[in-house]
Amino acid sequence: MRVIFVCAVVAAVAVTSAGARPVATPGVSATEIRLGSSVPLSGEAAIAGNVARGIAAYFKYVNDKGGVFGRKITFTYLDDGYDPGRAVNNTIRLIQQEQVLAVFSSLGTSNNLAVRKLLNDAKVPQLYVASGATTFGRDYKKYPWTLGYIPPYSEEGELYGRYVVKNIKKPKIAVLYQNDDYGRDLLGGLKRGLGSKVKSIVASVGYDPTSADVQPQVTQLKASKANVLMVFAFGKFSLQAFNAVSRLAWKPQIFVNDVSSASALMAIVPQSAANGAISIVFGKDPAAPLWRNDKGIKLFQSILRKYGSSVNSRDLQDGYFTTGMATAYTMVDTLKKAGKNPTRQSVMNAATHLDEKGNPFVLPGIVIHTTPSSRFPLTQVRLQRWSANAWHPFGKLITARPG
Amino acid sequence: MRSRLWLELSGFTLLALAVAALPRFISDFRARELAIVGMYFIALIGLSILTGYSGQISLGHGAFMAIGGYTTAVLSVNGVYGHQIRDLWTIPIAGVIAGLAGLLVGVPALRLSGLYLALITFGIAVSFPQLPKKFDHFLGGTTGKILDLAKPPFGLATTPNNWMYYLTWGIALVLLGAAWLLVRGKTGRALKAIRDSEVAAASSGVKLATYKTLAFGISAFYAGVAGSLYAIANAYVNPDVFPIILSVYLVVGLAVGGLESLVGLIAGAGLIYFLQNHADTVARWINQLPALNLDPKQPGIPSMIFGVVLIVVMLLLPTGAGGVARRLFGSLTTRFYTRS
Amino acid sequence: MLVAAFTWAELAQQLAAGIREGAIYAGLALAIVIIYRTTRVINFAQGEMATFTTFIAWSLMNHGLSFWTAFPVVLAIAFAGGVAIERVVLRPVENAPVLTIVIVTLGLALLLNGLMSVIWGGANRQFHGPFSTRTIDVGGVPISVQDIGIVAVSVGLVVLLALFFRFTKLGLALRAAAVNPESSRLVGIRVGWMLALGWGIAAVLGAVAGMMIAPVVFLDPNMMQTILLYAFAAAVLGGLDSPIGAVVGGILLGVTITLLGRYVGFIGSTLKLPAALMLILVLLLVRPGGLFGRVAVRRV
Repeated sequence: MRVIFVCAVVAAVAVTSAGARPVATPGVSATEIRLGSSVPLSGEAAIAGNVARGIAAYFKYVNDKGGVFGRKITFTYLDDGYDPGRAVNNTIRLIQQEQVLAVFSSLGTSNNLAVRKLLNDAKVPQLYVASGATTFGRDYKKYPWTLGYIPPYSEEGELYGRYVVKNIKKPKIAVLYQNDDYGRDLLGGLKRGLGSKVKSIVASVGYDPTSADVQPQVTQLKASKANVLMVFAFGKFSLQAFNAVSRLAWKPQIFVNDVSSASALMAIVPQSAANGAISIVFGKDPAAPLWRNDKGIKLFQSILRKYGSSVNSRDLQDGYFTTGMATAYTMVDTLKKAGKNPTRQSVMNAATHLDEKGNPFVLPGIVIHTTPSSRFPLTQVRLQRWSANAWHPFGKLITARPG
Repeated sequence: MRSRLWLELSGFTLLALAVAALPRFISDFRARELAIVGMYFIALIGLSILTGYSGQISLGHGAFMAIGGYTTAVLSVNGVYGHQIRDLWTIPIAGVIAGLAGLLVGVPALRLSGLYLALITFGIAVSFPQLPKKFDHFLGGTTGKILDLAKPPFGLATTPNNWMYYLTWGIALVLLGAAWLLVRGKTGRALKAIRDSEVAAASSGVKLATYKTLAFGISAFYAGVAGSLYAIANAYVNPDVFPIILSVYLVVGLAVGGLESLVGLIAGAGLIYFLQNHADTVARWINQLPALNLDPKQPGIPSMIFGVVLIVVMLLLPTGAGGVARRLFGSLTTRFYTRS
Repeated sequence: MLVAAFTWAELAQQLAAGIREGAIYAGLALAIVIIYRTTRVINFAQGEMATFTTFIAWSLMNHGLSFWTAFPVVLAIAFAGGVAIERVVLRPVENAPVLTIVIVTLGLALLLNGLMSVIWGGANRQFHGPFSTRTIDVGGVPISVQDIGIVAVSVGLVVLLALFFRFTKLGLALRAAAVNPESSRLVGIRVGWMLALGWGIAAVLGAVAGMMIAPVVFLDPNMMQTILLYAFAAAVLGGLDSPIGAVVGGILLGVTITLLGRYVGFIGSTLKLPAALMLILVLLLVRPGGLFGRVAVRRV
């Protein structure tokens, strides 16, 4: 009995090795390209999972128009509840079970840090990471299979610093920042941007995301008698900061970072504090009046209406969906560039030689550009100022690329 | 009584055989999933010693898992005097350190009872993630600590997933055996006496303080081992890897498994993993009902599904899977084996 | 961290902020205490119940109702909802182990949280409260009318509750049903309905707390999650079965952690939660029933 079994095994091995063809690329078949992502759909950050829903809708639209070289894109996104442990598990599932060609636009700094080594070890592209942590674009020598997408937070901070030096006389700066990598990246960038004027930061206070309200921190900052306030916060904390500024009858020049500056948010804070606030912009905000008749936003809405699953009218105004579509647009470009028979290597090659003009979901004129040694795809931004219930971009496109 | 022993021994042997044979029949990724189930199982054994046998409720065992996970991360990444320790050898150390932390919590726990203890331990679960943020130079802050990917040692020819599976379930079986010996012995009897009536136990000479504190320490040891394995399997720790809700999941697993049934806890562990990672499947089942069409990819729906399942499971099995098994089979075994 | 120098004006302002924050914890802690008093259950869904009713208020106001028209409607809905939850979800597990009941309330919290995301979306909403955000000058310190209003409401609630429990028949019956269900049944109190009534009242208190805090922290499905943690702490601090304790505990906690976070550099905002825990632990070791709570005497 045992002999027969051993013989069978030997025969089977012989057959498979004899018949071995060139190894097919995982995630690519004659009719299909498989991509995957890990995003929060439950827990506190669940709303950010809409990025993946935007991507899914855009891929369906592309598939309907013939796909990429005749192949349809299958996009699998899994819920990680914003827990890096679950993100690791999802990523392993995507590689081993779903057999994806690349992991694409997974969300969150720690969640991407947690899987970076794993993906690079397995030589699976970790593309267009949905996080602005500088490390994803900077440390490509150690992690050649990883690429970021949006402008790094540190560069954003640097832009604000440079703006203050140039435009504000005798600045006394107070900084409210989220006390984690995200907030500290922005603060570090600000200091670099201020250069020799770094002493003009008269107070900086971190808040912990487990806080109920940031009014105590803002109260403390106000006591420093600053005339400039940097709000490097996240979500509701940034709203609370505006609220507190108004309640304390304080009148500083406010700068608010991109992540917290959606029109829908700015419109609901006390306008006495919001008016005159400055931020950067690179994507089109579907809730902003400025883009109401824009072709890109119209396209966005028609795609979402037709191809989105369980979409309602609220979602048509949701910037997470547009961000997703902008990234998906770049991904489709990348796949086209990767050739008729894409491999993980050729996809990576395409992703590091991007020169994409006319992405309809980002500001006109922005070129999404990478080279093997410059791995920050989206680095062109404009400044914008809030007044009369809307953002108004001003000045030319400026570059936020680490030097 | 002898027959009961035989029954349990043969049950244990069957379980061990099933554990050894299973990877042959499942995919490599399933082995990883089952490894994580095994980690929850280990933590649940410890929790059942605490709650099921000594009657103390803890809503903070995720924190002890975190202590175990962080111990492994610090020893294998920072090392001791620059000498990094292989992940495998950090597991017992992680258990011991978490166990010591457990003893430390066990002392004030003596003065607290019932829901006060539950809320204070919940406070521990809430507070612990703040420590790595505060001591970020040592513990990595929110950036976390990146470990080496798990690899089979001694050149064993197996996949990382299978290696994690065998490692976890090997440890789980040993710790299950240890727990079984413990609850059958003098300690177990003392703990049960305490749970049933502290006053009666004390008056018959059981040292309340010693045993209750000990139970906390032992259960934290189990959680520490589980956390250490979890850190190795994910090759990453940061405060979010051990979220507050982990402590809640553990209590859910315990309740589903049944407070006193060690093997029933496997069902509880399975549920913890399944609900977090397979909301899609549950949604498909629910959508079989008329007039329902849940989209598991819509933010919010996975939470709803989790909540509904918890409520329904608790309404159907208020004493857990172990309780049901006992009701189903208990009468049988009693009829067959008791000689009165 | 660059810290500004100490000034008395700032101290006064931090105190005001701490009291306001504490008043919010107190509101939710009060709801937790009421449920504990009447049913001996810790309700982990209290935060999500409060947020849910606040969203209902938001929807009503979005359809053109003024705050004060919406207010009684929302309280009625909250009351009915609380009673319904007790009858439908908790009644079947009434005699189950504590752990089972705690998990049912956790399940309820997850269900409500998900439901809110689906119905109203996860974005932050503006909620127009009843009080003006105008500041008035109190001895050189600007304090907003809203803050004063929030504190006044939570103090008012506890006074109302105290009167209700002490001087109305229903209040007495509620207390009796909680303390001694068997004897209460004998004197004709419908204990089952008393428990449901407790949930109803708690839901109303939660709704008030939600509508008070929403203008300050903005409304979203997770609005109450952090606040619930502090509310638990406040309830334990004051004593789980004492309404006065909940309010005193809440304000004490709010002030203490605000001042610790501001003036003790080591604690900062990161160690606020652990610091609160340590404080409560130390207090419980001295007084196991909290500041105002009673502990059943263990008789041998």
